[in-house]
Amino acid sequence: MIPDYSVGLLVAFGSAGVAFFALMRETDGLHRLLLTDLIEVVTLAFIALVGTDLAEALILPGLVVGVSELIALSEIYRVKEGYVRPPDAGLQIEVMESAPGILAAALVVYGIVLSGFTGGAVAGLGVIFYFLCRNHRERFELIETASGYSWVLWIIAFFVFMILPQYWFFAVMLAGAAILVKVMAKMSLIGTMRGGPNA
Amino acid sequence: MPDIGGSDLFVLEFGDILHYYTPYTTTLFLLALIFTLLAIASRPEGQIDIAFGGDAYYAKETTVSEMRFRRFMAIACGLATMGAMGSGDLFNFTLFASLVGITNVGIVAAVKSHHVLNAAYEYGIVAMVATLPLFGGAALILATTGTLSIPALAAGVIAVPLVGKALLTLGVIGEGMAPFYAAKAEMFRAPGAPYVIMCSLSSLLIFLRVVEIAITI
Repeated sequence: MIPDYSVGLLVAFGSAGVAFFALMRETDGLHRLLLTDLIEVVTLAFIALVGTDLAEALILPGLVVGVSELIALSEIYRVKEGYVRPPDAGLQIEVMESAPGILAAALVVYGIVLSGFTGGAVAGLGVIFYFLCRNHRERFELIETASGYSWVLWIIAFFVFMILPQYWFFAVMLAGAAILVKVMAKMSLIGTMRGGPNA
Repeated sequence: MPDIGGSDLFVLEFGDILHYYTPYTTTLFLLALIFTLLAIASRPEGQIDIAFGGDAYYAKETTVSEMRFRRFMAIACGLATMGAMGSGDLFNFTLFASLVGITNVGIVAAVKSHHVLNAAYEYGIVAMVATLPLFGGAALILATTGTLSIPALAAGVIAVPLVGKALLTLGVIGEGMAPFYAAKAEMFRAPGAPYVIMCSLSSLLIFLRVVEIAITI
C-alpha cells in the first residue's frame, strides 16, 4: 500500500513538470505570466500535502508571496507594453440601482453581529457591493485612516493579552471590533476599483 | 553536524521560532547592514553615455520619485537580507528569500526603460517560478522531519532528505540568481548605482546562507 502523501507528492511533481514544460514552450509574455500562476498553485499544493496545523499556517504566507509577485509582475508587464485602459461607465443593470442600499445594510449589520474576521468579511462584502453598484466618491484617506487606527487597536489588544491577561475579555472585544473594521475597510477598496486614474 | 558557522553568539527565542547569530552569519549580517546604510546615505549616480564617434554625451537624469522608490526597495531588500541571515526557522528563511526576490525586481522595475523592464520581467518570472522549489523543499523537510527549526534539524535526530536540501538551494538560486549574474546583465545597465548593488549583494548573501543551512542540517 502506497501512503497517501507519496501519491500526492507524485501528482504534485507531475503537475510541476507539466507546468514547467508549458512555460518552456510558451513564448507570449502574458501567457507565461499566467503559467507562473499555475506553478504557484502547485507550490501551495506542496505545502498543503503536509496536512498539519503548521502547514495550514504556512499556506497563507505562501499565498501572499505568490499574489504579491503576480501583482508586481503584471504591473511591470502593463508598463512594459504601455497598456492604459480608459475608464468606462460601468454596468447598467436595474437591480444594481435599487438593491445595494438594503442588501449592504443587511450584510453590514449581520457582519457586526458576527464580529471578528468573519464579520469583517461579511460586512466588507456588503460595502464592496454598495461601492460596486452605486456611484462612489473615492475617499481613500478616510478608509485608510480607519483601517490604520483599527490595526493599532488590534495590536493594543495583543499587548493587553501579554501584559494584563486579567483583562482578556476587554482585549477580545477590542481585537474583534478592530479586525472587523480593518477587514471591512480593506475589502471595501475592491468595490472602488474601476480602472480610473485613482484606482 | 558539521559546524561551519561557529558557536552561537546570540540567540533570540520566540517560542520554538528563534533567531541566532554565529560568527559566519554575523559577518553576512554586518555586510548587509553596511550596504543598507550606504543605500540610505548615498545619492544615485548620474549615468553618462558617450555618443559614438563624437564629443557629444547624454547625461541620464534620475527623477526624485524614481529615486525614492528605488531607495525604499533597496532598504527593504537590505532588511529582508538581514532577516534571512539571522533566521533560525526554515520557512521564515524561505519567506525572507522570496522577499529578496520581489524587492530585487522592484529595485530595477522603477526604471521606465523598455530593455530594463524586459529584463526585470524575465527575472521576475524566474523568481516567481523559484518559489516552487523553495517552498517545496521546506515543505518536504517539514513532512519528513516534523520540524522547521534549524537547530532542531541540525541535532540530526531524523536525517533531512537530500532532495529537500537540493530543492531549497535551487529555490534560493532562482530567487537571487546568485552566483549566476549573467541573466542580470541587462538589469545592471539601469542607472542608479548604489541601488543595483543591493541586488547582487543580497543574492550573494542569501546564497551563502543557504549553503550554510544545507551543510548544517
